[in-house]
Amino acid sequence: MGWLIIVATYAVVGAFYVRLGLHALRWWEAVRRSPPSRPRGVGATVRAFVGATIDIVFLRRLLMVNPALWIGEWVFHASLFTVVLRHLRYFMNPVPAWVVWVQTPGWIAGFLLPGALLYILAIRLLTNQEKFSSPANLLMLLDVLAIGTTGILLSSRYRTDLAAVKLFAIGIVTFAPSAPPLSPLFVTHLCLVLALVLYVPSHVFSAPLVMMAARGRELELRQVLHDA
Amino acid sequence: MTRERSFSEELSPRQMLEVDACTQCGECLKHCPVQTVTGNPAISPPEKIRLFREFLRATDGLKARLVGAATVDPRLLEDFTKAVFECTTCGACGQNCPAGIFTQRLWPTLRKEMVKRGLGPLGPQPQMIGAIERTGNPYDKPASERYSPWLPRHVQVADRAEIGYYAGCTGAYESQPMVRGDVLVLHAAGVSFTMLPPEEEVCCGFPLFITGQHEQLESLVKRLVAGYVSRGVKTLLCSCPCCVNIMSRDWPAFYGAELPFKIRHITQFVVAAFRQGKLRLPRALHESVMYHDPCYLSRGVGVIEEPREVLRSIPGLTLLEFELHGLNSRCCGSGGAARKVFHDNAIAMGRLTIDEAVAKKADRLILSCPACYAKVNEAMQGYEKQIKITDIMELLASVLEEEPPCPALKKSCSGS
Repeated sequence: MGWLIIVATYAVVGAFYVRLGLHALRWWEAVRRSPPSRPRGVGATVRAFVGATIDIVFLRRLLMVNPALWIGEWVFHASLFTVVLRHLRYFMNPVPAWVVWVQTPGWIAGFLLPGALLYILAIRLLTNQEKFSSPANLLMLLDVLAIGTTGILLSSRYRTDLAAVKLFAIGIVTFAPSAPPLSPLFVTHLCLVLALVLYVPSHVFSAPLVMMAARGRELELRQVLHDA
Repeated sequence: MTRERSFSEELSPRQMLEVDACTQCGECLKHCPVQTVTGNPAISPPEKIRLFREFLRATDGLKARLVGAATVDPRLLEDFTKAVFECTTCGACGQNCPAGIFTQRLWPTLRKEMVKRGLGPLGPQPQMIGAIERTGNPYDKPASERYSPWLPRHVQVADRAEIGYYAGCTGAYESQPMVRGDVLVLHAAGVSFTMLPPEEEVCCGFPLFITGQHEQLESLVKRLVAGYVSRGVKTLLCSCPCCVNIMSRDWPAFYGAELPFKIRHITQFVVAAFRQGKLRLPRALHESVMYHDPCYLSRGVGVIEEPREVLRSIPGLTLLEFELHGLNSRCCGSGGAARKVFHDNAIAMGRLTIDEAVAKKADRLILSCPACYAKVNEAMQGYEKQIKITDIMELLASVLEEEPPCPALKKSCSGS
């Protein structure tokens, strides 16, 4: 069973990199085909970067169009990010101080995560406000909800052998794999994470860059037909 | 192994990222005018992007790269083509996209890809190429009738001048009170302006650009630019938002360099003329008017305040706003060259515009786009709700002239 999980983990991570590579290749092919674009001034670039950073960190564009959904989405994205940071302790030895510091916020975020997802689910399914819900998005949402729930159970009620988890995680990244703990809850949690990695939406990588381009475009709109 | 044509061929690097960046959240559906009138999610923005991602996988995915491209179901391609051409390209979806996808540009690019594959354009759209070759305009109307029905004899057009005026095909043939208003205002401001002879003032290229038919664009643009340069033009004025949009955003690319003159919307010129004291209004107009922002003027090139400033400068006028206005304005239905293919959609959207103006008890609906002008007038034919429809320059000219606009000029119905 242990070796099966190791093979599956490498296969999923490999598939993730192949997928990322294909997207990058398609993008690079488009770059090669395109004529060079007009460079933006330093000031405009800085303004676009600062504005886009705010857009990305606070999901500002979603806030402008749907504040009710925004609060759920922002808590979800922020808590998922913090939970991921908390998990870095399994992949690092020694554990840096900032990762130690993030453990408590990460633990709290672990509880906020499923709450935010349930809120998003309620907005999506129970209100008439939403005209469109992608089945793939709903499936992904349920997967993250299950990851969050099993994560809470692992950290609070059905604790697993954390030393074995760390050996497994470090073994994976150093290509010296060690068998994971075989508690059913941990295996379920890991499988759900692997499913998420396999189907992680491509917008995770591209949306921040598109938001940056959008901020630049908004700043430049006044310059299309105006002198200043 | 020869690779099948990639679906990404026409997409810029930014657009490649945009196709990936769609989160499929569906926020755009609430702002899509086509969704409002059809209620069909199959032609919605996220569905179009989902389908296009499938096409991309078929020609550029891992399997395609290893063993060759998969065949895409022709019915899916047909459905996608219809969806992408049914869109009015108004860009409201992109304006309200949480990821910031520039859909006002993405949809025309996807149309171009479908045209390259022989699946588009639709309906009468392919006939525009021949019409422009024959007559210089997509309506296939004689060039000799381009100016004569609406250009007043007392308006002097100089052979050479620093100000150039481009009437545009839709204004000249379909929305004549609008272009008549333009030249009357220019005349009243006392500026010397020039125009190309009617046979030389050819299509700006927008209808071809927006329907993905790019072959003629370079020659049209170079012809027009050379014409204005030879007349000493330093600033080219135009009232059509679509023309202004392609001139300012795309002409440099087709011309191959920065344009040797500025492009300005006519309301920008009017605001400056008021400030310089070149225009004075002899009378007041005690009416409530509601101004509709054309998509390609507001979201397209950011001209939002100037039309309002022009209206506010008319003494006695009360300016009302649509609930969705400025950058968030709702399409009147005539955008994206879809109005002659998906006529019922366009009429239904036009009637939504009329409904709100009537509900807010406006005396007039003020438009500033020839396509909106023609289609909203058409939408009012046989409709129980009626309102006066007037172009912004037509209104200003009427206040300047102290006489009603010429009743014989062509628009789809009288509207009053």
